Amino acid sequence: MTNFQKIKYSFKSLINSNLGQYIISILIISITAFLCSPLANTNNYHVVSFILLFVVSFLSTFMGIRPVLLASTLSALAWNFFFIPPHLTFHIEKTEDILIFGLFFIIALLNGVLTTRVRRQEKIAIEREKRTNALFQLTKELSKTSGIIEVVDVSQKEIKKNFDVNPIIILQDGNEKLVLPESEKLKLINYETAQWSFSNTEKAGANTEHFATNNYTYFPLFGSKIKSGIIAINNYNKISGDKISFWDTFVVQISNALEREILIEMAQKVRFLDESDRLYKTLFNSISHELRIPVATIMGASDSIINSENSKEVQMALCNEIFTASLRLNRLIENLLNISRLESGYLSIRLDWHDINDLINKVLNELEYELKDYTIKVNIPDEMPLIKIDFGIMEQVLYNLIYNSSQYAPPGSIIQINTLFNNNKFIIEVLDNGPGFKEADLKNVFKKFFRADGSKTGGLGLGLSIVKGFVEAHNGNIIVKNNIEGGVKFALTIPSEIPEIENI
Amino acid sequence: MKEKETILIIDDETQIQRLLEITLSASGYKIIHAQNGQDGLVAAATNNPSLILLDLGLPDIDGQNLLIKLRDWFKNPIIVLSVRNTEIEIIKALDNGANDYLTKPFRTGELLARIRVVLRANSIIDNDSTLSFGDLCIDLLNHTVKLKNEIVKLTATEFSLLSLLAKNSGRVLTHQYILKEVWGYGYSEHSQYLRVFVAQLRKKIEENPSKPKLIITESGIGYRFGE
Repeated sequence: MTNFQKIKYSFKSLINSNLGQYIISILIISITAFLCSPLANTNNYHVVSFILLFVVSFLSTFMGIRPVLLASTLSALAWNFFFIPPHLTFHIEKTEDILIFGLFFIIALLNGVLTTRVRRQEKIAIEREKRTNALFQLTKELSKTSGIIEVVDVSQKEIKKNFDVNPIIILQDGNEKLVLPESEKLKLINYETAQWSFSNTEKAGANTEHFATNNYTYFPLFGSKIKSGIIAINNYNKISGDKISFWDTFVVQISNALEREILIEMAQKVRFLDESDRLYKTLFNSISHELRIPVATIMGASDSIINSENSKEVQMALCNEIFTASLRLNRLIENLLNISRLESGYLSIRLDWHDINDLINKVLNELEYELKDYTIKVNIPDEMPLIKIDFGIMEQVLYNLIYNSSQYAPPGSIIQINTLFNNNKFIIEVLDNGPGFKEADLKNVFKKFFRADGSKTGGLGLGLSIVKGFVEAHNGNIIVKNNIEGGVKFALTIPSEIPEIENI
Repeated sequence: MKEKETILIIDDETQIQRLLEITLSASGYKIIHAQNGQDGLVAAATNNPSLILLDLGLPDIDGQNLLIKLRDWFKNPIIVLSVRNTEIEIIKALDNGANDYLTKPFRTGELLARIRVVLRANSIIDNDSTLSFGDLCIDLLNHTVKLKNEIVKLTATEFSLLSLLAKNSGRVLTHQYILKEVWGYGYSEHSQYLRVFVAQLRKKIEENPSKPKLIITESGIGYRFGE
C-alpha cells in the first residue's frame, strides 16, 4: 500500500465510523470559522453565514444525519459567537441579526436533514435496483437451466453471490425423504432438523423458533404442487432487515424452478414407462403368437405321425409342415437376437473384403426352400470390385430383404437382385413384381413391429427394421419405393473403396 | 460292406443326442455317447472313434479347451456342433483343430454330407500324386490341372492355392491359414488377394463361376473345397 492509499483508506474508514463523522464535522466547521476570521470585524459578517451554510450542505452529502445536525448547530453557534457583533458573546444586538440567526439555524438544519434524507432514499433505490437485478439474473439463469442438477448449481451460485452465505440444497427422494449426497460439506447438516423443516414446510435451525441450536438454518423449498427439498445456509444472521424479504423471494424463485424441473422429469418418466409398457405388450403378444403357431404345427403334425396310420404321402406332407415350422421358429430366434444386438449397442462391425457373388449365393442357398416357387434373377456387372463389409451382418440384411419379398409377392413372382458400384459406393437392389406397398405404409416399412396388410404368414415385423439398423451400422442407407411397373424396390447404398492390389 | 464306422458324440443335450443317434444309425454308423468333457476324453481314448461330434457348451469343460486336449493325440476328424455362431468362435474352433463346424440348428442332411466328406478326406493317402474331383484332375507332381481332360492354365499362385484347397478337400480352411500357406506370413491381413485369386480360379475351373461347386465360401471364415 502506498502512503496515499493508506491515507485514503484511513479517511474512508473514518467517514464510515460514527465517531469519525462527528470529529470531521467539528473539525471542518472549526477550520471554516477560523479561515473566515478576517471577516469577523467587518460589516461583511453576513457572508460568513453563507459560507458556513455551504459547508453544512457539503457535509450532508456524505455524512449521517446526526453529525450533520451537530455541524448545523455548531456552525450557527460559531457564527453567533465569533461573527455577529458583539463578538465573542452569544448576545445579539440587532433585531435583524436575531432574525437572520434564527433563519440560519433553521436553514442549516433543514438543509442537512433534507440532503441526508434524499441520500438515504437514493441508497434504498440503488439497493432495490440491485435486488431487482439479482432476482432478474436469478430468473434468467434458472430459465436457461435444464435438469434438476443444473437448477441446484445455478441456485447455489446465485445465493453465494448475493447473500455471502454457503448454501446447500438437499432434495427429496420422491418418498418425502431428504437424500443427503455424499460430500464433506454435508457433514455439517443436521438431518433431523432438515427433515423437520421439509416435512413441516417451515424454516428451522439457527436464528429461528425451531431447533435454534443448529449451526445452519433450513428453509423448505415448496412450489404449488410439490415439495422439492430444502436449502441450508450457514449465516442466516447476515440476512437481516429488508434483506429478509429479498431472501424469501429468492427461495420462492428457486422452489418454482425446481418444481418445474421435477414435474418435467416426472412427465418424461411417465412417457417412457408408457412407451416401454406398450413395446413390452406388443412384443409379448406377438412373440407368444409367433412361438405358438409353429409349436402347434410341430406338435400336431408329429402327433399325427406317431399315433395315426397315414399313407407315406401324408406322412411326408406332415414332416414338411414340421420342417417349415422349425424354419419359422429359427428365423424368429435369429431376428430377436439381431434386434437385441442392435438395441443393446453391442453390435460391432468387422469389415473385410468380400466377393458380392459369395454374399448373394450364400443367401440364395439358405433361402432355397422358401424361394422354390419364385424366379430369381441376379445381375452383377463383370467389373464389380470386391466390397468391404461384415459378411455375417450383410448376409442377414440380404436374407431379410429377399425373404420379405417372398412374403409379400405371391408365388410365381420374379425377385430380382441388382448390384452396382459407383463413386466408392456399392448398391444392392432387391425388386419384386408383387403388389407393392400401400403409399401410406411406405414410410412405416422400416419401423419395428410394423406389419403391412396382406403379408403371408406371421412374423414380428422386425426383419426390415433389422435391415435398416445393419445397413446404417455400415454407414449406409436404405430406401424403399414402389416400382412404376408394380412391385417393391429396396435399394441399399453402402460406402466402400476399391481394394489395392498390386503385383500379387 | 466294410466295418461300421464309429462316431463319438460329446453333447449334454439328450434330445440332440437322440436325434443324432437316430439319424446317424440309420445311415449305418455306430454311435457312442458322452455327456461331458471328461467322459468324452475317456471314450475317445478307449474306442478310438473314426469321428467325433463335439458340442462346445459342455457342463464340465469348455469345448474349445477339450478340442485342444483331444488334438494332442487324436488324429481322426472332429466336427464341432454348437449354438455359438459367431465367426470368432468358429475360426477359433478351426484353429484349435476342428475339421468342420456346424451351428445348431442344423439340417441333418447337411450334417451327413459333412461327415461323409471329412471321413473320405481322411482316408485319402497323403502320397497320392493326383487328386480327382469329378471332371477336375489335379496332378500335384507335375503341377498340371485338367478339366474334362483339357489342360487348364494356372499361374503358380493359383496352382498352390488350388492344391492347398484340394489337399484339404471337405475341410474349412480359414482365410488366415490360406494366406499364410500360399503367400507367407506377411500377407495374413491382405484378404483381398485371396478373394481376387479365388474369383480367378473359379472362372477357370468352375462350370458356373457365380454358383461355385468346387470352391465354396464359408461366410466370414474361409473356404472349403467340395465336389
